[in-house]
Amino acid sequence: MLTDRRRLGVLVLAGGGIALLLWYLAPWAVPHRLFGGEGVLLNPFGHHLPEGTLPQGYRDGWLFAVFYLSLAWLLLTLLAPWTKAPTKALYALGLLGLGLFLLGYVLFQQSVAQVNAPLERPLLRRYSLGLGSYATLGYSLYLLLLARVFSPGGLAFLVRRRGVVVPLFSLLLATLIGGVIVAILRESPALPQDLRHALLLKLDLITYTYQLLFSPLVNPSGFLQSLLLATPLIFTGLAVALGFRGGLFNIGAPGQLILGAIAAMLVGVYLPGPRWLVLPLAILAAALAGGLWGALPGWLKARFGAHEVINTIMLNYIAASLFLFLISANEYKFFGSTLYLPFKYPGYEARSHEIRPEARIPHWTDLVAPGGELSFALPLALLLGVAGYLLARRSLGHRVLFGLLGAGIGYVVGGLLPGPQVSFGPDLTSVRLNGAFLLALLALLFFHFYVFRTVGGYELRAMGLAPKAAEYGGVLAGRKVVLIMFLAGALAGLAATHYVLGGGIDEYRLKQALPYSVGFDGIAVALMGQNTPVGVGLAAWLFGILLTGGLQVNLQLGISRELVAVLQALVVLFIAAGGFLPRYFTDPLRAAEVELKAEAARRGAEEAKEVRR
Amino acid sequence: MNLDTAFWTALFLSTLRQTTPLLFTALGGMFSERSGVVNIALEGIILFGALTAAVVVERVENALGPGPHPWLPWVGVLSAMAVGGLVALVHAVVSIRYRADQIISATAINLLALGAPSLVLTYFYGNATNSKEVVNRLPLWGPEGFALSPLVYLAFLLVPLSWWVLFKTPFGLRLRAVGEHPEAADTLGVNVHRMRYIGVLLSGVLAGMAGAYLAIGFLNQFVRGMSAGLGFIALAAMIFGKWHPLGILGSTLLFGFASALAIQLQGTEILPAVLVQAFPYVVTVLVLAGFIGRSRPPAAVGRPYEK
Repeated sequence: MLTDRRRLGVLVLAGGGIALLLWYLAPWAVPHRLFGGEGVLLNPFGHHLPEGTLPQGYRDGWLFAVFYLSLAWLLLTLLAPWTKAPTKALYALGLLGLGLFLLGYVLFQQSVAQVNAPLERPLLRRYSLGLGSYATLGYSLYLLLLARVFSPGGLAFLVRRRGVVVPLFSLLLATLIGGVIVAILRESPALPQDLRHALLLKLDLITYTYQLLFSPLVNPSGFLQSLLLATPLIFTGLAVALGFRGGLFNIGAPGQLILGAIAAMLVGVYLPGPRWLVLPLAILAAALAGGLWGALPGWLKARFGAHEVINTIMLNYIAASLFLFLISANEYKFFGSTLYLPFKYPGYEARSHEIRPEARIPHWTDLVAPGGELSFALPLALLLGVAGYLLARRSLGHRVLFGLLGAGIGYVVGGLLPGPQVSFGPDLTSVRLNGAFLLALLALLFFHFYVFRTVGGYELRAMGLAPKAAEYGGVLAGRKVVLIMFLAGALAGLAATHYVLGGGIDEYRLKQALPYSVGFDGIAVALMGQNTPVGVGLAAWLFGILLTGGLQVNLQLGISRELVAVLQALVVLFIAAGGFLPRYFTDPLRAAEVELKAEAARRGAEEAKEVRR
Repeated sequence: MNLDTAFWTALFLSTLRQTTPLLFTALGGMFSERSGVVNIALEGIILFGALTAAVVVERVENALGPGPHPWLPWVGVLSAMAVGGLVALVHAVVSIRYRADQIISATAINLLALGAPSLVLTYFYGNATNSKEVVNRLPLWGPEGFALSPLVYLAFLLVPLSWWVLFKTPFGLRLRAVGEHPEAADTLGVNVHRMRYIGVLLSGVLAGMAGAYLAIGFLNQFVRGMSAGLGFIALAAMIFGKWHPLGILGSTLLFGFASALAIQLQGTEILPAVLVQAFPYVVTVLVLAGFIGRSRPPAAVGRPYEK
């Protein structure tokens, strides 16, 4: 117990020390910031005020009030491990810290509003709290975490949730390294006067970069844009995750996406017919073509034992060549004779003809409010679908059937209900989010049901965990490998529906600008999401946010948007290394050991209590 | 069609030039896999090497003036080798010390090689796709008309050298033992982890050299994604070459010939260039499927070792 207490003391001291250091070195709040990133930095140990940027009326008294309170709080936290019930004390102090952070936030907002309110055009812009304040928040959360870990069974609690702990910790590490990269790559906007000042500017720069990266969360058009960028990532993330679940590494998502795009284009441009027929056919074609392109390396593995990793990569290059072949010219010379292809649209740019209107996936405004009138079709379909699924209880098939039935009824009834008139600003309507996003959500559902609720999915997971055992248990391994790769390829192929049929790349065409490398981003999404549907959805959204914010970073700070790609790669690397966490976070056997130990300790404590009685 | 001597000479020289980076990388991959670590990060390491060589040479030129500095390209090559080794070290630490899935760890490095160069290029040159052209490229050695970069000669010299190292020295024996049966090697007192670190580092150094060849031997700048799957093709060549230097020489020559043919056919009316470009990749798929011969990898490849 004593050693435990001492360890807790050291951990609290370390966290508190870092918090104090950040309080001293980082700005607590930035009431005003110029476009390039330079701002008024408030810090209790001395402000950084570029000339003529802070107006007369601004009062910073709140800052010192919060600072002295925080200082007292920090001292208390350092004492907490030596109290009678340290974990209880830490819980209380952690909550108190959250309160302090909130207090600072409210007071800061008030102080800004005081200046801005009487003016017609707000004087203070791009204001936000700074790293100093966030340090309070971070330290509070850290204390709460310590409190939980040092409660009985705390380590087992962490280890049981290693599916969340490892990715989040890896993300944290990647974020720290990303911060260092930003600090190196960009000089501070203003000339520093001394070392503390230089660090103040650098730390503010790093904070601002991450604020910009996450800025899509707080403005509506950025929010939609993040969903738009998440759409293909969900598909490709699932394509990789399905492979991982089955013990295969599918790096072929880019190629599968390209084939899907080609097929969607062929059906969408050249197949005449009514909408109810052509649109589903175009979507199916994308899935089928991607699936077949994925099944090819699966077959090569099953039949010839050729490893899927290099084969899928090679097929990416081959697919890219094929894609360019189809849309970059109309005529080709083969051994002197000429081949004419009809696919390229006339003009300098390599792009196909336009997708027929019947085969286009509707824009989000047409789904949410067709004809300017808010529609209840989708919300009601969702509501009744979930209700149908939850209320039916006999069997899985029964539940799914009722769910689908409910969704259908909801869609029809909701479509008939009259809705209020709504209109959206141009910043929202210009975001090319479309129905492919709903397809992506359906793909998440499909993944969940197939992998975790069917016999086929059970076999797939068995293949991933222990291929020999699965084969002994009756799984036809070769066929299963081909099937897994087919399904993975189909998921990647569906990502193309967003780009080609949904107009995700500015036009309803197949264009050379097709960003098929999102297939590689799917690897990061799958690892970050730990190959679960909820995880993949959230990870795709996270990267969608970062990519959207990356544009702002590029615009305002002149740092390449590829910063996000680097962050993704680092996340993959760190997750592969188990977040550099102790063995019991990565090794299921050792994790079980930890849990057993915790269980034994709990039983021992109970018995001791009874004996005492 | 007029396929005269000039065409064949050009094809021959082009084959040698195309084979060079493949040979460096495939030999590197051989050292790594013989020690038991899969290294598909070679693709990314080539890019890092190329970036380093191009940027280092350009920066020095920027500082000292463009005037001919015969030593400068060699500094570029050495720094590319160093950076290649460093990046490989990351892969080694993560996959040996932290027992990561070697393919995922290597994929992370490949992803990094897609993004990181843009950050560096934007920082130095304000654009995300290519570096400034350099003046001091690697020299050309050889008779008029047949002059080749010294790295071409070096690559082919490395074949007998690595054969000797791998099969005639105690070091080579240990390296192979560690990749075939680490437990047995460990029992005999071989430091498994150290041998694996060395194997991976060697692969990184050689791939870095391949990158330097691309950036300041083949071209005179870094271009985004300039490796274009070379690292993966090299790995296929290594498998096809049965993890043996002489086999690798043969298989890389085949791939080099395929690429050279693709280049020579461009602009002619025999086959469309966009399709011909895919030729080496198709050959790779066929080779891996075993249509052109089967091979057996080192027994312990891809498995982390723990005592």
